[in-house]
Amino acid sequence: MTSAPDTQTLERMLYYLKLTREAETRIEQVLYRQGKIVGGVYVGRGQEAIGVGSAIQLLDGDVVLPSHRDFSSFLIRGFSLREIFCNWMARSNGPTRGRDNTLHIGNLKLGVIPIISHLGDTCPVACGVGVVLKQRKNGNVALVHFGEGTTSRGDVHEAMNMAAVMKLPVVFICNNNAYAYSTPTDKQYAVKDLAVRGAAYGMPGVKVDGNDVMAVHSTVEKAIRRARSGSGPGFIECKTFRMTGHSAHDAAEYVPEKLFAQWKKKDPIARLEKVLLAGKILDRKQIDHLDGEIRKQVDDAVAYAEASPFPKGADAREGVYCDDECWWRSAPRSE
Amino acid sequence: MPTNVVMPQMGESVAEGTIVKWLKRPGDRVERDEPLFEITTDKVDAEIPSPAAGVLAKILAAENETVAVNTVVAVINGEMPAEAAEPAPESTPTPAPSVETTAQAPPTPAAVEAPPVPAKAPAEPIQPGAKLRSSPLVRRIAREHNVDLSRVKGTGLGGRISKKDILKFLERRTPAMAETPAARPSVPSKPAAAYGQTVTFSGPTHVTAMTPQRRLIAEHMMASKKTSAHVTTVFEADMTNIVQTRERMAAEFDRSQGLKLTYTPFIARAAVEAIKQFPIFNSSVEGTNIIYKQAINLGIAVALETGLIVPVIKRAEEKDFPGMARAVQDLASRARSKQLNVEEVQEGTFTLTNPGVFGSLFGTPIIHQPQVAILGVGVIEKRPVIRNDAIAIRSMAYLMLTFDHRIIDGAVADQFMAFLKNQLETWQEPVI
Amino acid sequence: MNKSMPQLTYLEAIRQGIWEEMERDTSVFLLGEDIGSYGGAFKVTSGMLEKFGEDRVIDTPISESAIVGAAVGAALMGMRPVAEMQFMDFVSCGLDQIVNMAAKIHYRWGAAVPIVVRGPSGAGVHGGPFHSQSNEMWFVHVPGLKVVAPATAYDAKGLIKASIRDNNPVIFYEHKYLYRRTREEVPDEDFIVPLGKAAVRRKGTDIAVITYGAMVWTALEAAELLAGEGISLEVVDLRTLLPYDEQCILASARKCSKVILLHEDTRVGGLGGELAAVIAEKAFEDLDGPIVRVTAPDTPVPFSPPLEEYFLPNVQKIADAARQLAAY
Repeated sequence: MTSAPDTQTLERMLYYLKLTREAETRIEQVLYRQGKIVGGVYVGRGQEAIGVGSAIQLLDGDVVLPSHRDFSSFLIRGFSLREIFCNWMARSNGPTRGRDNTLHIGNLKLGVIPIISHLGDTCPVACGVGVVLKQRKNGNVALVHFGEGTTSRGDVHEAMNMAAVMKLPVVFICNNNAYAYSTPTDKQYAVKDLAVRGAAYGMPGVKVDGNDVMAVHSTVEKAIRRARSGSGPGFIECKTFRMTGHSAHDAAEYVPEKLFAQWKKKDPIARLEKVLLAGKILDRKQIDHLDGEIRKQVDDAVAYAEASPFPKGADAREGVYCDDECWWRSAPRSE
Repeated sequence: MPTNVVMPQMGESVAEGTIVKWLKRPGDRVERDEPLFEITTDKVDAEIPSPAAGVLAKILAAENETVAVNTVVAVINGEMPAEAAEPAPESTPTPAPSVETTAQAPPTPAAVEAPPVPAKAPAEPIQPGAKLRSSPLVRRIAREHNVDLSRVKGTGLGGRISKKDILKFLERRTPAMAETPAARPSVPSKPAAAYGQTVTFSGPTHVTAMTPQRRLIAEHMMASKKTSAHVTTVFEADMTNIVQTRERMAAEFDRSQGLKLTYTPFIARAAVEAIKQFPIFNSSVEGTNIIYKQAINLGIAVALETGLIVPVIKRAEEKDFPGMARAVQDLASRARSKQLNVEEVQEGTFTLTNPGVFGSLFGTPIIHQPQVAILGVGVIEKRPVIRNDAIAIRSMAYLMLTFDHRIIDGAVADQFMAFLKNQLETWQEPVI
Repeated sequence: MNKSMPQLTYLEAIRQGIWEEMERDTSVFLLGEDIGSYGGAFKVTSGMLEKFGEDRVIDTPISESAIVGAAVGAALMGMRPVAEMQFMDFVSCGLDQIVNMAAKIHYRWGAAVPIVVRGPSGAGVHGGPFHSQSNEMWFVHVPGLKVVAPATAYDAKGLIKASIRDNNPVIFYEHKYLYRRTREEVPDEDFIVPLGKAAVRRKGTDIAVITYGAMVWTALEAAELLAGEGISLEVVDLRTLLPYDEQCILASARKCSKVILLHEDTRVGGLGGELAAVIAEKAFEDLDGPIVRVTAPDTPVPFSPPLEEYFLPNVQKIADAARQLAAY
C-alpha cells in the first residue's frame, strides 16, 4: 500500500491539472480557430491526470520523455507558459526557434526529451537515458509516455525488451485513451489489457484508472521506487479517454456520443476538486480564485507570444550542425 | 583429369590462410569430402575436405606456409573426369562486360548498355568554314592568346580541339603575335624560346650585316637619345578593377563587338584622358618653341619578329572604348601581316608601349621623336599590397613614363602619371 | 630520428583508434551485437570488454533501432556512444532513429547528439545482397549527419578518432574488403584526420578520378597501368562523403579538365551524380570533356562470383573509361 500524496502535492496537482486544461483549451478552441496557431494541434483533454500524477514525483536528475498529450509534464518540469505558447505560435524565441511545432520541445537542464512525430521512437531513447542513469548510481529514473496506438510500433517492443534484459530504470507509461486517431483499440491490438505486455517482456505490468490522479500517482510511485532501487523497468497502462478529436481538425465523428458522455462524468479535475473540497483542503472560493489566477497566467502567455517576433527566413539555414560557432548559443530566448 | 585444390576463404575479410598439416601424402588415395589438410586463418582453424576423389598427385604449399585465398595448394589426379574439375573460385572474366560509363559524345542520350564507340569518323582535316568543335575552356584560352582556332590542329574525338592541342599550339607559336600581357598565368607560355637564335661560329667571331630596318632603328634610337633629355618616372597602378571588368565583360564584348577584349584599349583611353588634362604631353619641340598638337595621334608599339613598328591611331580623342579597341586590333593585326600604309605609321603625337607582354616589370623606353613622352605598361600580375592596413592580393602593374625634361619637369610628369593611375584604378567607363 | 612505426591493417587501425578514444575520454562507450566477449563479428572490439568493462562495452539484443535510439538517449545525457551495426546492411533497421531522431535534434532544439554509428560495408567478398551493400547515400542525403568512408589504415584510425570527437551524429563506413587487405605504418599515438577534407592520393594531369573506399585502391592500380600508356590520372580520395571537400574536388577538376567519378555504389542516386552537378555548376569553364561516372549497375549486389565481378568496377573498366575520355 502506498501513502496518499500530502496536501501540498494535492494542491499542486490541482493547479497543474487546471493550468493544463485552461492552456490547452485556449490553444485548441480559441487560438487555433482564430488562425493564430498554424499546423497541427493535439491536446490531451481528459487525460491530464497521467502527466500530472507522474511528473509531479520527479526529482532533479530524473528525465521525462512526454507524449503530445502530456502538456502538464512540460510545465511541471519547468517550461514556462510563455515559452510553450511561443513555440505553438511559431515564434523565433520559442524553444525550437520556430523549427518544430506543438510540444516537440526539449531542455536537457530540465530533463525533458521531446517526441518526434514517429511515435514510439522515444522508447529506445529512454533506454539510452536509462543506461546512463543506471551507471551514475544516483537513483534517477526515466519516464517515457506513449499512447496505446504507439505500442503497435516495433521500437516500443525493442525498447521494452532492452530495458528488461538490461534492467534499466525506465518506467513505460501507456496513455490508453481508447482511440488512435480513428482506430479503436479492438482494431489496434488483440489483448484485453496492454498491461500483460509487461510480463511478456519480463517486467511488472499494471493497469490503473488514468482519470484518477491519485491512483496514477500511487501506481507510478511504486514503479519509480522499483526503478530507483535498481530492480528494473515497469509498464503502466493508464486507462483514459480522449475527449477531443485526434487533433484540432478532427471532429471525432467516429466516436459514439455516449462514450463522451460516460467519460465526462469521470473528469479528472472534477474528481480531484471533490476530494479537496471533501477533505476541507480547499474551499470553493479558493478554487474559483485559482481559476482566475490561471486564466490570467494564460492570458499573459498568449499576449507575450503574440508580441514575439517570427524568425527570419534565412535563419532556416542555421544550426544544422553542432560546431564551435554554435548558432543556438546566440539569439534571444523567451522568458 | 586433375583437380586443383585451393586455399578456401574462411570469412568475408580473410585474405590468406596458413597450412597447418597435410593429412595425406603425395601418392595417397583420397575420397571426395575426406579431410585432406588443416589450415589456420585470422578467424578460424579448419579441416578442409578434398574436392574430388583420386590420388594426391602433388602438394604445392608446404606446412606452415601462408598463401593467399584461392591459391592452388595441391593437385589431385582423378579417376573420373566427369565432375571432378570443380571450377576454382577465381573465374575467368567473361569477355568485355559492358562498361558502365558515359564517355559517349554528347548527342547520344543514355547510352548505358553498349560500350561507347565514337559514332563519327576519326579526325578529319580541318576544312575552312567547317564548325570547329572545342570546349568553352579551349575557346577561352584561344581568346586570351588571340589564337584563331581554325589554325589549331585538333586531335580530339572527331577532330575536336582539345586543351592539349591548344596548349601545344601556344608553346610552339612565336610571342610576337601576342599583343597584350597574358592575364592568366595558369596557361603555360614559353615565349622566350622563340627568340633564341642560332649562331654558328667558324672562328672566334661571326659577322652579320644589319638589315635596313635594323639600321633605321639603330639610328633613330641614338638620335632620340641625343635630342631629348630622357627621364623616366615609374608608378604602380592597381589594375584589379580593370582585370575584373575585363573578365566580366570579355564574353559579351566578343559577342557584341566581334572583338577580343584586351588591356590595351583601357590604357589607351586612360592615356588620352590624361593627355587632355596635360596637353604638354601632346607636343613637340622646335628650336626654342613648344608646338602643341590638337589631335591626339596615339602610337601603339607592336613587336614583330624582325623588330618594332608603331602604327598610329589618328584622333584617338574622338574614339569611344569600342572604337579604340577596334582601332587597336585592326592596326596591330595589319602590322603583323605587314599591311600597314605609310600614313599609318606617321604623325604620332604620343606613344604607348608594352614591355609587360614579355614579363618585364618596367623599363625605360626611348622617346619616339619628335614626340616628348612615351608611356609603357609592365606585366599585370597579382602582388601582395597593403589596403586598410591589411595585406590584400591585387592585380598590379608598373606604369613607366619617359619624358623629355627639356619641356616637362618631374612634377608635371608625376601629376600626369598620378592622374593616369587614378583613371586606371577607378575605371568606370562602360566598355560597351 | 625516425622510429619505425608498426604496420597495422585497416581493421587494427580502427580498433586502435577506438581503444585510444576509450582511454582518453570516459564518456566514450560502445554498444552493439556480439561486441563484448566475442569481440565483434569482425573482431574490431576484441579485448575491449576485458579492458574497459561491461559498462563501457555493452552487448545488446538484436535491435538496431533500439541500439541507435539508446545511443541518442545516452548522448543527450552527455555520453559519446559508438554504436556498431554488425553489417551496415542492417543499418536500415535503425534508419528512423538515425534520420529522424539523431539527425534533427540539434536543428530542432539545439541539443548535440555526438554519436557514431559504425560498421562494415562494401562488396567483393561474395557476401551476397545483404552483406555487401554501399548504402551511404541514404545518409548523405540527410542534413544534420556526417558520413565518413576511409580508404587507408592511417585514415581509418585518424577518422574514427575525429568522428568520436565530433559533436554531430557520424555514420562511419568501414570497407570490409579493406579490413585485412590493406596495411601501412600507423603512428602509435594520438592523431586525427579532420572530417570534410579529401586527400590527393596520386597527382596527375590528364584526368581526375574522384572516389572513396576500396575503389581508391582500384583507381590507383588503374593509374599505374595507364601511366605506361601516357595517360596521367590524378586520384582523389574523398574520405568524408558529407560534408564533401568541394574545394579539393573543384581544384582537381579544374587542373585536369577531365573527370571520372568512381564508386562501388550503384549508379542512380550515387554520389557521382551529386559531384558531377557541382563540377558542372562551378567548373564548367574549365572542363574539356564530359563528366564520366564509373559505378556499379543499378541492381542489388549479386552473390555468384561471375555476377559480383560483373557488378563491381575494376581496373579494366576504369582504364577503358579513362582511355576514351583522354581521347575525347
